[in-house]
Amino acid sequence: MTRVHERGARPGKVLVVGLGNPDRGDDGIGAAVAQALVGRLPPDAAVKVRRGDLLALIQDWEGFEAIVCIDAAAPMGVPGRICRVDLNSTALPRNLSFTSSHALGLPEAIELARSLQLAPRQIIVYAIEGASFDSGAPLTPAVAAAAQLAADQVVAEVGQLRCSTPEAAFDA
Amino acid sequence: MATKTLRVDYLTRVEGEGALDLEISDGRVTSAQLRIFEPPRFFEAFLRGRGYAETPDIVARICGICPIAYQMSAVHAIENAFGVTVDGPLRALRRLIYCGEWIESHALHVIMLHAPDFLGFPDAIQMAREHGNMVRNGLTLKKAGNELIRVLGGREVHPVNVKAGGFYRVPSRAELVPVTESLTHARELAIDLVRWVAAFTFPQFERDYEFVALRHPDEYPFNEGRLVSNRDIDIGITEYETQFEERQVAHSTALHSMIKRRGAYLVGPLARYALNFDCLPDSVQALARECGLGPVCRNPFKSIIVRALEIVYACEEALRLIAAYEPPALAAVPITPHAGTGFGCTEAPRGLCWHRYDFDAEGTIRAARIVPPTSQNQPSIEADLTALATTILDQPDEVIRDRCEQTIRNFDPCISCSAHFLKLSVHRT
Repeated sequence: MTRVHERGARPGKVLVVGLGNPDRGDDGIGAAVAQALVGRLPPDAAVKVRRGDLLALIQDWEGFEAIVCIDAAAPMGVPGRICRVDLNSTALPRNLSFTSSHALGLPEAIELARSLQLAPRQIIVYAIEGASFDSGAPLTPAVAAAAQLAADQVVAEVGQLRCSTPEAAFDA
Repeated sequence: MATKTLRVDYLTRVEGEGALDLEISDGRVTSAQLRIFEPPRFFEAFLRGRGYAETPDIVARICGICPIAYQMSAVHAIENAFGVTVDGPLRALRRLIYCGEWIESHALHVIMLHAPDFLGFPDAIQMAREHGNMVRNGLTLKKAGNELIRVLGGREVHPVNVKAGGFYRVPSRAELVPVTESLTHARELAIDLVRWVAAFTFPQFERDYEFVALRHPDEYPFNEGRLVSNRDIDIGITEYETQFEERQVAHSTALHSMIKRRGAYLVGPLARYALNFDCLPDSVQALARECGLGPVCRNPFKSIIVRALEIVYACEEALRLIAAYEPPALAAVPITPHAGTGFGCTEAPRGLCWHRYDFDAEGTIRAARIVPPTSQNQPSIEADLTALATTILDQPDEVIRDRCEQTIRNFDPCISCSAHFLKLSVHRT
C-alpha cells in the first residue's frame, strides 16, 4: 500500500521501496527510511512504501531498471545493523528471516518476479535488523537511529544505480 | 490394533496458522481435526464500548484479504438497528466495492494458492516457471480488484472510506473510467482462467452438503437477501440464531458453527452458486455449462472453477454498475442512533459473514457477535477430510498429506478471520 509518498519516476529508472508495517514496532523501519529520503533523491527516482501486499510489489517494479528495497529483518542480536545485499551477486540469505507474516515475503516475491521475468535488472536489498515488533510500538532507539544512516546509504546507492543503468545518460 | 497418525504441522497456502491431525485405526479414519492455533483475537470484546461510527474501521482489521465483507456486514447491522435504508447509487457502490474484493480474493486463491495443487507444484513460484502467463494474468486480476477497492475505499488494504449510511466520499464518474478499462481486460482474463482451471484433473469426490447462502430475488448475492439452504432453511438474517449455533471445540481457537438440528453445513462459492445459479447472467451460466458444470456442483475440488466463474461475474457486475452510476447528492444517509439491536449478513468471498450488535441510546456497542465464514465451514472441512482420506488409505502417507492439504484449500479458509488456523498429523493404529 503506497502510503507516505509516491513520487512519479518514469519506468526505466530507480524505484526505492520501503517495506513493512509502521504500526508494528521495528517493522516500520522501511517506511521510516522512505520518509527520511524525502527531498533527497533525483526527480527520476520514485519512492514507495508498501505495508502488506507483496504481490502488488511485483507490479510496482514493472518497467524499472533497478530497485532498492528496505525491509526489517528478524532479531539476531544487533538491533539497527544494516545488511546490504546485491542480488546480482549474492542470493538473499534465508537466515535474514524477513518479518512478513503473510504467505509471500520479500524473498518469495523476488523469486516469483524472476520466474515471471518481471524483476528489474538490479535489485539491492537493505535489511535492517529489528528488536521489537510489538503492535502499536514505535521504532526501538537503535533501529530508529539506523534510519538516517540507511537513508544516506540509499541516496548514494541510487546515484550509483543511475550511473550504471544502460540508459544512464538519460538525464543524469 | 494398528494405529497410525499423519500430521501436517503447519498448513501452507492458507491465510493464518493451523494444523491437521488425522487418526487412522484398523484401516479406518477415526478422527480428522483441523487444529486452529492462531491466538484468539477478541474483536467482539474490543468492540464493546466503542461508538457505532468506529465499527467499520475496527472490523476491517479482522482480515487483510476480505475487509470489505466485515465492513459491509457491520454497516448493514448498524443501519438495521437505527432504522436506516441505503438504496440507489449508494447501494450500487456497496455492490461495486464488494466486486473488487471478490476479484482480488478469488484471484489470489485460485492462481497463487490452489492451482499449484492440481498441477503438481509445491507453490506458485515453481508453477510460474511453466505457467508464467497464467500467473501474470492472476496478478493483473488481483490488481484490478485492488484498484476498485482503492478508488471506492480510499486504499487497497483495510479501506477507510466506508461508513454507516454510505461512504465518507463518493467517486465521480470520471474517477471510474480507468477502472472500467482494467475491468474490461480483467473480464477477458477471468474467462481464460475459467477455461484453464476447468481443464484440470479433478478427484471423483462428491458430498451431500447442506448449502447455506444468501438469496435475493433479483441478483446474485453480495449484501442482501434471505438465508436459505437446499433443505428447509428459509429465514431472515435476524433469525440466524434460531437455526445456527457456535460450539467450542478443544482442538481449535475458532468456534465451530452448526445447524442446531443437523450439524455441518457449507457456505461459500459452491453454496452461493447452487442456491443462486438462476441469478447469474446468461453469459456466466453459458460459460459454466461450457466447462461441464450444471446448476449444482457437489465436488469440493471443483470449487476452483466456481471461484473463477465468480470472478467473471464480479467483473461483469462491476462494469454494469459503473455504466449505470450517477453520483448521489449525499455520500451517506444521515443516522440518528438509538438503543436497539441490529443484524447484518453479507457474502464474503469465503461465504456468509454474519454480525449482530446491541447498541445503547447513544449508539455505543454493548455487545457484538461476529460469525465469519471459516468458522461455519470448519465442521464441513473435517467431514470432507474424513470422507476423502477414507478413499485413499492405501496410499503412502505423503500422498494422503498432500491430498488432505488440497482438500482444506478447497475451502480457501481464512484462519486469521476464524480465530478468530494449519499443521497435518496422521495417526495410524
